Amino acid sequence: MSASMYLIYSFLGLPLIIVLALTLAAKKPADRLCIYAGYLAAIVQMIAAAAIFAALLAAGVESLTFSQFWDMSVSDSAAYLSLDAFSLVAIFCVGLVSLVSLITAQSTMGEKKLNFTNVLMMLMLGMNGIAMAADLFTLYVFLEVTGITSFVLIAIFHDIRGLEGSFKYLVMSAIASAFILAGLAFLFMEFGGLGFDTVAAAIGAWQEAANPTLLIVAFVLLASGFLIKSGIAPFHGWLPDAYQSAPDAVSVVLGGIVTKMAGTYALIRLLSELLTDIAPLTQACVILALGSILFGAVAAVRQSDFKRILAYSSISQIGYILLGAVCASPLGYIGAILHFFNHATFKTTLFVNAAAVHEQTGTTDIEELGGLQKQMPVTGVTSVIAFLSTAGIPPLAGFWSKLIIIIAAWQALGAFAGALALFASIFTAAYFLRLQSKVFFGLLREGLEEVREAVLGLKIAEILLTAITVGFGIAFPLALRFMQAQGWL
Amino acid sequence: MGVLSDFINMGNGNNLLYTMILLPALLAGLILAVPRLNYRLRSMIFMAAVSLNMLFALGVFFGGDMTMLIPWAGFGVNLALRVYDFSALIVLAVAVFALLVGMYSVSFLRSKDYSGRFFFYYLVTVALVNGAVLANNIVVMLFFWEGLLVTLFGIIIIGNREKPKAALKALVLNGIGDLLLMLGVIITATSAGTMMMDGISDLPIEGVGILGFVCMMLGAAGKAGSMPFHSWIPEAATVAPMPFMAILPAALEKMLGIYLLARIALDFYQLQPGTPFSLLVMIIGAVTIVLAVAMALIQKDMKKLLSYHAISQVGYMILGIGTALPVGVVGGLFHMINHVIYKCCLFLTAGSIEKQTGSTDLRKVGGLGKLMPATTVCFIIAACAISGVPPFNGFFSKELVFDAALESGIVYYIAAVLGAFLTAASFLKLGHAAFFGKTKLPEGVSEDKVKENSGAMVTPMLILAGLCIFFGVYNAVPLGQIQPLLGEALGGHDYAGWPHSLTLVVISVAVLLLAAVNHLIGYRLTGEGLKAVDHIHYAPGLHSVYNAAERHYFDPYDIVMLLINAFAWLSYGIDRAINWIYDAAFVNVVNYVSDAAKRINDGHSSTYMKWSFFGVAFIVFLFIILV
Repeated sequence: MSASMYLIYSFLGLPLIIVLALTLAAKKPADRLCIYAGYLAAIVQMIAAAAIFAALLAAGVESLTFSQFWDMSVSDSAAYLSLDAFSLVAIFCVGLVSLVSLITAQSTMGEKKLNFTNVLMMLMLGMNGIAMAADLFTLYVFLEVTGITSFVLIAIFHDIRGLEGSFKYLVMSAIASAFILAGLAFLFMEFGGLGFDTVAAAIGAWQEAANPTLLIVAFVLLASGFLIKSGIAPFHGWLPDAYQSAPDAVSVVLGGIVTKMAGTYALIRLLSELLTDIAPLTQACVILALGSILFGAVAAVRQSDFKRILAYSSISQIGYILLGAVCASPLGYIGAILHFFNHATFKTTLFVNAAAVHEQTGTTDIEELGGLQKQMPVTGVTSVIAFLSTAGIPPLAGFWSKLIIIIAAWQALGAFAGALALFASIFTAAYFLRLQSKVFFGLLREGLEEVREAVLGLKIAEILLTAITVGFGIAFPLALRFMQAQGWL
Repeated sequence: MGVLSDFINMGNGNNLLYTMILLPALLAGLILAVPRLNYRLRSMIFMAAVSLNMLFALGVFFGGDMTMLIPWAGFGVNLALRVYDFSALIVLAVAVFALLVGMYSVSFLRSKDYSGRFFFYYLVTVALVNGAVLANNIVVMLFFWEGLLVTLFGIIIIGNREKPKAALKALVLNGIGDLLLMLGVIITATSAGTMMMDGISDLPIEGVGILGFVCMMLGAAGKAGSMPFHSWIPEAATVAPMPFMAILPAALEKMLGIYLLARIALDFYQLQPGTPFSLLVMIIGAVTIVLAVAMALIQKDMKKLLSYHAISQVGYMILGIGTALPVGVVGGLFHMINHVIYKCCLFLTAGSIEKQTGSTDLRKVGGLGKLMPATTVCFIIAACAISGVPPFNGFFSKELVFDAALESGIVYYIAAVLGAFLTAASFLKLGHAAFFGKTKLPEGVSEDKVKENSGAMVTPMLILAGLCIFFGVYNAVPLGQIQPLLGEALGGHDYAGWPHSLTLVVISVAVLLLAAVNHLIGYRLTGEGLKAVDHIHYAPGLHSVYNAAERHYFDPYDIVMLLINAFAWLSYGIDRAINWIYDAAFVNVVNYVSDAAKRINDGHSSTYMKWSFFGVAFIVFLFIILV
């Protein structure tokens, strides 16, 4: 155990400490310093994730498992927290997106900065917990933390739209939570434990269990719950409303990472570690993933709100991640994780772009926008790059992950799935081209002559994320060689 | 001259071969360099070129067999030239006609502003024909052959730049023929394993050889102007300068096409009498004879009438060679030489009339016999030759072809005799209308201004007319050159002298008399020489066929063009339809679905819950069917 392992404490501890400190501190300095405290937590989290990743590699350990949060040395069947490469990638993404969200918040949150920071810290804690959970009930607890903080964030301004979006998310999340909780209960009744190891060991012979029907119900409920949380079609209804009505800084974190952690990440964990070899579930996920890819892309074509287009795009992209994960091959799994990461960068970029446009023009309705490229060059260019990455244009990062997923789908699920996934890319290009041409290209719309480039913070965030997208894309062959050297592929 | 003869008689004489190609081409370039207005200098260079060409051709003809080879493009494509008895004969004939028609052209084109370009194309054409005839590498031959396409197009279009339709038609039809030839050449060279023409011998016509033979044969016959590649000739006749008609479609192209056809039939492939391929060639020949002469019969314009005959006469040559009998091949080749003589002469007489009266339309021009006696005499001799009147040259070659046709099948003989009858009838009509009867002149041309042309124009006609008689009476001279070409295949026959079969001669003469009677009947009926065949033209049944033919309903070019246009419209429609699928149908479907998705996302949580339960139901359903 190297010293860097102690950084693991920061994932759950640091947000908590910051919340405590900000709450106990006097109002004025807390107001002024809260965002910076948030930056600290996010940056430390990214560094810690990277450092632990490196330490794990150096030690040649695949994962860390521990039953007591303060005692990492214990590794037994009662473990309820664990860390592996995927967790660390997820935690890194959480840190990155939270950082960008905080940057966005600095110029858009106004009076609510302190509240926002506090809740965001709790949200980070919840997501980190999801990433580290090695026990279904632990997962559920952190899921609830994530969910509740998200509702609060969406409605943070107490405005009617925010409340409405929050309420819809709340309703659907409540159903999902009920499903998941019931599913857990049934699993517990059958298997007598909820640790990943316990369930994984027992699940192979589930058809010989005392009550297979109950298990089927449990599987359906668990899968449905997480599918609702992911926003896979047809469980997606709440997602566009929530994304659109959330304040800009919140939609950055919501669209960039929250639904991915609460839904997709958890679903991938379950599918890859617990619910393997359950054919109907895999089948359902394949069909729903493909449907989601296509539906999200087609539905995005005619949307007229910047953030709503991004929301439908998310539905489509989550479909890709899920498709990679259900291929049940190392390639698909790697593709899903990479796309998870890429999605966190390019979709966050686009949400920041939306925030910048919203901040400068006061609207996100693309029909009222046009020709902003000259006025907002950084926002325009970063948005084009992010969109190209989403559409899978080489050599950007999105191309590689999408390519890997399509290859994996082609190998594991047949040509039809691969071709369909490829075909949907056309629509990705279609809706994003429409978005770009309505917002940034063409002649400047009347009344927008006074619009200027976004504030420095947003520009930095946009450039930072774009640099990651481009850099990771160009350096991808190195990453691929690294992964091959590690034997992951 | 000493230097020149040294040059000609140089030991190997090889230089002569490429000089035949380079000299006309270089002098052609020189003509373009001469200032536009200096017609005298241009025509002098031009005459020097054709005269030198004639001289060198004589050198080649008497110089015996020669070969030369310059390594060139690789893949076996070497600049190989070879002269032997056959090619020497053709080269000499080309040179003779180039000289005679050249002499005539200088005088004919004196006042035309395109004369410089005409001379240029003329000399380049001569160079290319020499190259194609002398080539010993089949790809090199193809190179020269295809080059003729350019000069053909150029020479037709200089007379009428505003209306390129005829030139375009010539280009397309010859281009198709050349493409077929190219395909045939590729197949032939591949199956022979060599590109050297003297190395390709007696390939069997079977398997891919069928394609090679048919393609090459069609290409060669197409160059000679046979059906179905003929229809540009009458149209070119109306727009191109008259000497062009005399030199290209009437002379050089015939010789080149028939030369190659004979090479194909004699050397490259084993064309046996009675085989389907022999029949195919004969059918092309017979159909060409009858259909073209039938069209010639009703023409009222001298140029068009002659150009249809230029097509029809090719039929005899192809029919003769197609029989694959020695008598037929000899007859075909002899007919080629004869045809070039008399058809050249006929075009030149037409040119004489045009030069003096400005028209060759027999509805406007006629009865010129007294005004242009030399032209009239030349016309009568050449017309007798083409109609096959003994003892002119055409009679002897036609008798040989008749002989071969009868031996191959009575149908071909009947077609050939029918052709002879119609030929005679149409020339009786033409001669009667153009030179006899009441003098007719176009408006604005007074009778006292029309007179016989200058010596430069009359001399070539007289020489050609003389040749018509000479090659008839002393047919042993040309046949003495042609018969050895067949070598052993001749089987020791000698076709010189009077035709062997008296029966055939009697029939031929009877047919000629019949044509004369027919003319008299027609003349009695209408009282006009020009309308002497109207009783055939307007005969019940034939009338509508002729009408359709005059409207180009049977023109393969126009039919194909119609099909191409239809295909283009179809392709356009398909393209629009595909475009519609992309631009409208696909987009509309996507937009519709997308709008529907937008509409159903109505903001009610209950709706979203319903969908989610559908999703749950779907997973349950999968569990039910799969577990």
